[in-house]
Amino acid sequence: MNGNSRQQVIPPTHSSVKAGFVVYSHDDQERKIIILDKGELAAVDNSLTPRKVHFTMQPGDLVGVAALLEREPFRYDLEATRDSEITVVGEDCMESELKSIPLWLLAVIRELSARNRQRKEALRRSRAANSLVSLSEFCRHLKKGEPYPLESLVQEFCWQTKACAPEVKEDLKALSRRKFVEIAGMDPVVTVTQPELLELFVDYLESEAQEKPWPPLQLTLNQKKALVRLSITESDLSQDPPAWLAFFQKNNIALTAADWIKMQGLGWFINSKGNLFAPDSKKIEYFLLALRYDINLRGVL
Amino acid sequence: MKLSAGDFLCLEGDFASSLYIVISGTLSGTGSAHTAATPRLFEPGDIIDVFSLLEHAPREYTLKAEEDCEIQVVEHEQLKAILDEKPSWLRSIIEFLIRRNHIGEENARKSNQVQALPSLLYLLSGILKEQGGNTAPMATVSARAARMNGTRPEECHKLFKVLQELGVLKIQENSLQVQSPELVHLLYETLRYRALEQKISPNILSMTDQMVLTVFIRLSQRSKDPLRNGLSAISTADLKKESKKSMHGMTLTTRTIGALVEKGILTPSTSLDFHQPLDQAEFFFGDFDRIMDLLELNRIFPLLDKKLVE
Repeated sequence: MNGNSRQQVIPPTHSSVKAGFVVYSHDDQERKIIILDKGELAAVDNSLTPRKVHFTMQPGDLVGVAALLEREPFRYDLEATRDSEITVVGEDCMESELKSIPLWLLAVIRELSARNRQRKEALRRSRAANSLVSLSEFCRHLKKGEPYPLESLVQEFCWQTKACAPEVKEDLKALSRRKFVEIAGMDPVVTVTQPELLELFVDYLESEAQEKPWPPLQLTLNQKKALVRLSITESDLSQDPPAWLAFFQKNNIALTAADWIKMQGLGWFINSKGNLFAPDSKKIEYFLLALRYDINLRGVL
Repeated sequence: MKLSAGDFLCLEGDFASSLYIVISGTLSGTGSAHTAATPRLFEPGDIIDVFSLLEHAPREYTLKAEEDCEIQVVEHEQLKAILDEKPSWLRSIIEFLIRRNHIGEENARKSNQVQALPSLLYLLSGILKEQGGNTAPMATVSARAARMNGTRPEECHKLFKVLQELGVLKIQENSLQVQSPELVHLLYETLRYRALEQKISPNILSMTDQMVLTVFIRLSQRSKDPLRNGLSAISTADLKKESKKSMHGMTLTTRTIGALVEKGILTPSTSLDFHQPLDQAEFFFGDFDRIMDLLELNRIFPLLDKKLVE
């Protein structure tokens, strides 16, 4: 990376131009960098009536770097507004100069150029890490049972996230296959039947992305039985841990102290007073729904 | 420079004036600007910290050798020496590229900020509906915005501040206290309409409409009459009298109030014939909260775009 080889360098061209002279036309095939040494240049759009001046250049300013280094089109005509002196760095000149600089400096110039290009490209793309999570998050806030025209829904989602429509439609199909949304009709409409399932799905996908086990799918048989029993237990029943273990025992569910600690950790109980615990109905409903729709969530229909 | 596996090369934020080129081996980079779940890997040929070399900017990454590595270090003095012996236009081009990078970075920041607002409002409105109140946990809104739109926490916070400055919400310790959940929804819908229909939303009212509604609200606040079907009722005579006072002597006519009737914001006690005088209707009805939200929206909306890019 230390190359500093000397080669024949093609010098830039210096010219004097009169006011009104077109220095660079937008349809010029030849790419070049124009550096203004003296006078004034203006970038104008002659296709508009009246023609529009986009910017003027003062001595020391330059244009055409993106055109030369990044092959971006130059959109304007460059005209001298006063008698001016310019330096023109053409492709051959630039190439010969770049060949004479150390490779690391060439890499720096390329990196600066690439960063700009990548940034522009990134602005056109969705920033969401997972398109299915993104769409599920969007759909879970739609009104339950309300039919939304598919095309408008996709358009709205794309506007919010910059996702691309064909990909969104594929993701909608994936949600539909899992029965989280329904797509029906000749002019298709999308209906969310149970937004809670989309919440579960988002959590499931997030755990999967982080390579962490998702708690609702890690329950033992007895913990599942306990969950089902809790779902039909009065939510105002508040008792201490030994009483809860006895309660499960009485219902033929053999749980250990370790199971109790795990259930507490999963948030199935709310500490109501002192050492008394009551079931958290919202949490229990969440886990129960996950068990019921286990196959849909894992997408193994 | 040689590094053994596990060695650290530099820490994020260290001030430096050199760049690194990976000659052999792999380095992993972590830093606050790098939001991906896994560290960025640098392999032979990659250059790191261009801006430290060019502008003495702080290191972008904390770099750790994942295996034995060989690194070339290029110091600012080397760059200076090269540029001193080269034609001045080469320096100009590099300076131009640096400037363009900074402008591009700033534009990207603003663009991301503007782009993140609709989804943030959409999510906030949804969470408020879920929770059934005026308060939403800040962490929940930020987490969902990150999932849905890749919005970073600091971008969310900036947007919360913008919305606070506009009076839409108040940032509390861990939550967002919203002035009116309906206003959040209206704001989202108005942005959506502008973007997708490419037209001004019907929620955006003319100055005259806003003045008439302000008069209606003022009279409703003063009124001691009970609500009728949940709506405020104001007599046409009172509306005309108060309008004359508040609207610089302007006479309220059927035509003036027509747009509000057509939009369903005000409802006359009898159906309006637009060619007849306004007195044909004895009363006008309106939803006080809805009108307040609309007036608030019309106050906020013209300020929004400017606030976003400040």
